[in-house]
Amino acid sequence: MSEVDRSKPELNSPQSAAAPATARARRRIRLPDEIGVVAALVILMLFIGVAKPRFLNPINLFTILGNTTFQGMLSLGMVFLLAVGEIDLSVGWMFNFSAVISALLMAAGFNPWAATLIGVGFGALLGLVNGLLALVLRLPSIIITLGTFSMFEGLSLVINNGRAVNPPDAGSSFFALVSAKIFGLVPVVAVVFVFMTIILHFVLHRTRFGYRVQAVGSNREAALLAGIPNALVRLQTLVLMGAIAGLSGSLYVGFRGAIDPQEGSDFVLTVIAAVIIGGTPLSGGSGTVFGAVAGMLIIQVISSGIIFFGIDATWSTFVTGAVIIVAVVLDQLVKRQRARRLAGSADRL
Amino acid sequence: MADSPIVSVRNLVKRYGGVVALDGMNLDAYEGTIHAVVGENGAGKSTLMKVLAGAVKPDAGSVLLGGVKVSMDSPAAARRHGVGIVYQELSLFPHRSVLANLFVNREPMRRGLVSTRAMEEESRDLINKLGLNVDVYRPLGQLSIGEQQLVELARVLLEEPRLLILDEPNSALNERETTRLFGVLQQLRARGATILYVSHRLEEVFAISDRVTVTRNGRDVLTKDRAALTMPEVIEGMIGVHQEDLFPAPAARPNFASPQRVIVEGLSAGELKDVHFTASSGEVVGLAGLEGSGVSTLLKALFGMQKAQAGGVTFPDSRGLPRSPTEAARRGVCLVPADRKRNGLMLDQSILFNISHVVVGALNVGFPLFRTRDAEARARRQIERLRIKTRSPHALANELSGGNQQKVVVGKWLEAAPKVMLLDDPTRGVDVGAKREIYALIRQMSAEGRIVIFSSTELPELVGLCDRILVLYRGRLVSELKGGDIDNRKLLHLVNTGEEPSEMRLQ
Repeated sequence: MSEVDRSKPELNSPQSAAAPATARARRRIRLPDEIGVVAALVILMLFIGVAKPRFLNPINLFTILGNTTFQGMLSLGMVFLLAVGEIDLSVGWMFNFSAVISALLMAAGFNPWAATLIGVGFGALLGLVNGLLALVLRLPSIIITLGTFSMFEGLSLVINNGRAVNPPDAGSSFFALVSAKIFGLVPVVAVVFVFMTIILHFVLHRTRFGYRVQAVGSNREAALLAGIPNALVRLQTLVLMGAIAGLSGSLYVGFRGAIDPQEGSDFVLTVIAAVIIGGTPLSGGSGTVFGAVAGMLIIQVISSGIIFFGIDATWSTFVTGAVIIVAVVLDQLVKRQRARRLAGSADRL
Repeated sequence: MADSPIVSVRNLVKRYGGVVALDGMNLDAYEGTIHAVVGENGAGKSTLMKVLAGAVKPDAGSVLLGGVKVSMDSPAAARRHGVGIVYQELSLFPHRSVLANLFVNREPMRRGLVSTRAMEEESRDLINKLGLNVDVYRPLGQLSIGEQQLVELARVLLEEPRLLILDEPNSALNERETTRLFGVLQQLRARGATILYVSHRLEEVFAISDRVTVTRNGRDVLTKDRAALTMPEVIEGMIGVHQEDLFPAPAARPNFASPQRVIVEGLSAGELKDVHFTASSGEVVGLAGLEGSGVSTLLKALFGMQKAQAGGVTFPDSRGLPRSPTEAARRGVCLVPADRKRNGLMLDQSILFNISHVVVGALNVGFPLFRTRDAEARARRQIERLRIKTRSPHALANELSGGNQQKVVVGKWLEAAPKVMLLDDPTRGVDVGAKREIYALIRQMSAEGRIVIFSSTELPELVGLCDRILVLYRGRLVSELKGGDIDNRKLLHLVNTGEEPSEMRLQ
């Protein structure tokens, strides 16, 4: 995925000659929202690569990409949630629960492809549960999903009896394909991830649904008074998150061949961290899908880079935390800069 | 009147970014007078008072107190110079007692302890005079807004300022409280205090003040003794044009072959009780009423945000009330809300984004793609049509002036070609030039065959613009004024009392 040459059409469209030069310059600065985090990623990789050239070996790089896939997919959905002004803390267990369901179906002799599809549907159902609870009870999704986090965990553990589910491989095309590497190098799941990223970026910025997500997140009251179907959009976004978790979980079963009872339990913080590092504001109203992927890659690069330096892997958790704070501070600085530029007009009588 | 002014403001200039709040403001106020400062929103009167109170630093110009140039670089410095200010917005602590609020940061001490008894003694007189009959140990937040405002006033008066500034002090006071406030002000004047009284309620200004300064666009345009001043003079000074020029001529009623109608029959919703009326295309129907009269509830109900308990409404599509704003938008009913910053706009988004609200956000027409090029075309169309002053459709809504922001709100609805336009106080906080454009726009929308229902908190606006005015009082429709019946005084009386002025009834 190439963030750098991603250009929005309005830049290419013929600019009216009347537009002042400053406006054009300002707009050029505003456009590549993800440029900062991508630059940080590249610098980080070069820094490690100069010290340990082995790090830049394509095999290693693609392994990193492959490792980001499953949590990375979740972060794509989380971008939509933060953009609409919601959050979902239950993603890790939606991932796990859906994976358990599709693994059990595979073990019961279902066609793995069908089981995957059911897994996606099941994830969407879990998202629907989150959404309906939040809407009907009029509670913030952060509280609802804090509850469903444990509910889904509990149900998942009940269903798998606290043990890993190992569907028999049985030479299905599913397992062969999902765990395959193209040219022995590029994991198929990573390709799926990249495709999803591009599609969801398009959905967020170029579809009516994406527009509504940003509108509701930007000012819920104004959205309501403009006739934007507020509740529906929030529900749809939570269902999208669930479906993505379902897909991620089912593919994980194909990729690893099993689902451990605790897999996914610690995903949520990494996922939210990646989205925030990527530049999606917690305050809602906008989001960046590419940024979230870059954020996820930064986290992975740090944890695998640390191993290259021979530092105890547990340190990577600490560094990741520090990176979150640095990223948010930088983001704040940029925002304050923008706010100051607008201060004149915002501060009127 | 004394020979030299106690406070004198010379050529004050203050800019906020590109917005000029003060542009060479002058003011002289003399000892023992009540000096009113009037002006439209944005005329600079509040900024002027903030400068005098040390809350805002001017970019240029000077302030003289008793002929000596002083620098008010902080509220504390202003207080030392004997300037006390009562702000429009309360600056009190709702969880603390009335007494604690009266002596913030200067609590009287006895034997090293804060003494509430000393507080009571010091404040008793004043509290009685203000008619503030409350338990002074109650948390302030439990008082009515009017009482809270009196507490704020008492707090400032306890410091015995030489110059007392009141910035719209009675916006929350009822009639009795206002009368009492005026009594206190007159006593203060008799004791030689100088009072700067900021207001836009002209009747009161004429009732209380000795001298009046009219401000417009950050300048003082007229200062005269009240006795030598007439109301039209003041209004003309405030708005810069004759009032009649502000409103478009009520265009010769276009004769629609079959006028569209909104028929409201016995509607009860919220505080609304049994409201009947019909609004047709081609006329501008005004809604007048105080806060709580049901005007905003009526608009909300028509827009699908408030359930009706009884009665019915028939829209031009011969269906009833919309059940949600989304349904309303899809059926061509639009609402321009009163609080555009909170309810009308997404300030941190571009004009382009905001203008797409309805077409992309609410309607479900066409392919579900959001095309930037289409959105840009929509934005450019409305920028041109409504003459929105902006550098580009990509500018953030935040960067626009109030009037231009309101045009964006109107523009986003016009893109959806609404049949029924509900306008809730659309000119609030908008400068006069923009007001005139909005009036013209309302008239034009009506002439195009839309049904326009327009509410306003400024009665002259209703009188100037509307073909018909419905007056709501405590949830009931109490009167309907038409054509020649419409006049300011009658409307004012109806809005405040729900009854026709008595001499009219005698006739």
